[in-house]
Amino acid sequence: MHAVDQKEESVFQRVVLKNASPFHYMKVHLVLENETTRLTAVELKHFIISGLKTLHGEVGAALNVDVLKYDDDTLTALLRVSSRGLVKLWSSLTLLGSYQNQACAFRVLQVSPFLLALSGNSRELQLD
Amino acid sequence: MSVDLDRTPRNLLLCERSSLLDQKNRLSAQVQQLHFGYKVSVLLPECSSAPSHLDSVLNSFSSFYLIRKLPIYELLDSDFLQKAVYPGGVYGLSYRTRIDEDNCVALMPNVVSVDLTDSSMATGGRGYMRLLTGLKSRLRLQTDFLLSHHPGGGACLQPLLSRYDWSEHTPEVSHCHLTHLSCPAPRSCDPHGLLEWLGAVDADVSREDPSSSFLSSLTCPDPKTRLGGALRVSVCGLLLPPDVQRLIQELRRYLEQPLLESWVSLTVHGFVDSPVSWGDGKHGVLRGGDNFYNLLLFQDHTYQLHLATGAHDTCPP
Repeated sequence: MHAVDQKEESVFQRVVLKNASPFHYMKVHLVLENETTRLTAVELKHFIISGLKTLHGEVGAALNVDVLKYDDDTLTALLRVSSRGLVKLWSSLTLLGSYQNQACAFRVLQVSPFLLALSGNSRELQLD
Repeated sequence: MSVDLDRTPRNLLLCERSSLLDQKNRLSAQVQQLHFGYKVSVLLPECSSAPSHLDSVLNSFSSFYLIRKLPIYELLDSDFLQKAVYPGGVYGLSYRTRIDEDNCVALMPNVVSVDLTDSSMATGGRGYMRLLTGLKSRLRLQTDFLLSHHPGGGACLQPLLSRYDWSEHTPEVSHCHLTHLSCPAPRSCDPHGLLEWLGAVDADVSREDPSSSFLSSLTCPDPKTRLGGALRVSVCGLLLPPDVQRLIQELRRYLEQPLLESWVSLTVHGFVDSPVSWGDGKHGVLRGGDNFYNLLLFQDHTYQLHLATGAHDTCPP
């Protein structure tokens, strides 16, 4: 085929994927009664798994939750879970009320089927 | 019961591939549809510093204004309409209002529910007076408001600004040098894997660390190559489509030179709390609220565009 013809045969393709993301991503912040308490990333993951086990049993505890990023100063983490496990994970985090005998709460700051969306949250815009 | 637990909010990912040499390509129109950009992020693989022409564009996004406690009826001021709104190029969005909790307001050339350019909304008309009366007496909406005008120069906005507490802001630019990263093949990688990789780069997520395999199983999609480094540049603020268009033109110019890697990535995030997303389409946030697109440009003038939207939005154009 002639080279000019190849250039003119542009390939246009449009595909709409609905509910096709295999994973969901959550940005969460752990609020503790004693604000000086700190957890390591491993301790955080253990805590999340314990919450899954409490609410959803062994099946829940077997859910693969990835701690993609963790800031131990602000206790903020980026989590990844399979899309089918989002409701189980989110409900477990919601009902986790105590850590080592002190009250706690998980604040879910952002949820998305795209990790890229979690790096651009306009609610963080500070102009003061 | 188990079926309900498996369900997630509806989300759409629109994937388009085309060539910029094709006169029918819709990239420019699609970029124009995201009226309110919050963050623009550019990834330049195997690049240590941006060339001056690119740096210049990244540092020249339109400045914008923050007006404190603006009564919404002021947007119907006849002088403001005549000098700013009717000529076009004015963009405005309520600031620090959460769409799932508060009233949110957006000002575009075509406002979602009130078309200020419609004949029935002409100054003094019945529709206009009814709305003005409503906003002044019955529903006294007041909010902090972000306002911008393109092309630059806020002269037409000054009469409105002078009546309230306001400040001018320029978009914030930040650079980050990344080293030693694995990179998937952008043309053959599946869209979700590619967007996950881009998200990991944008969020500084470290990957493939064997010592943290308990924490995360995140890996780079195969096939992958090793990059010596990359440059990530981000711009944050109220970012307008015309400035994004200029950036795309400069990225095309950047790709014309010989490069180690023949692609660049541009991600544009919309405002989470904007009442509109694509064009005039409604936007909402309950359990999601995605409102961004990613553009991969290649040296052969082809591109891949991924537009993401959430459960309360219409399909992107």
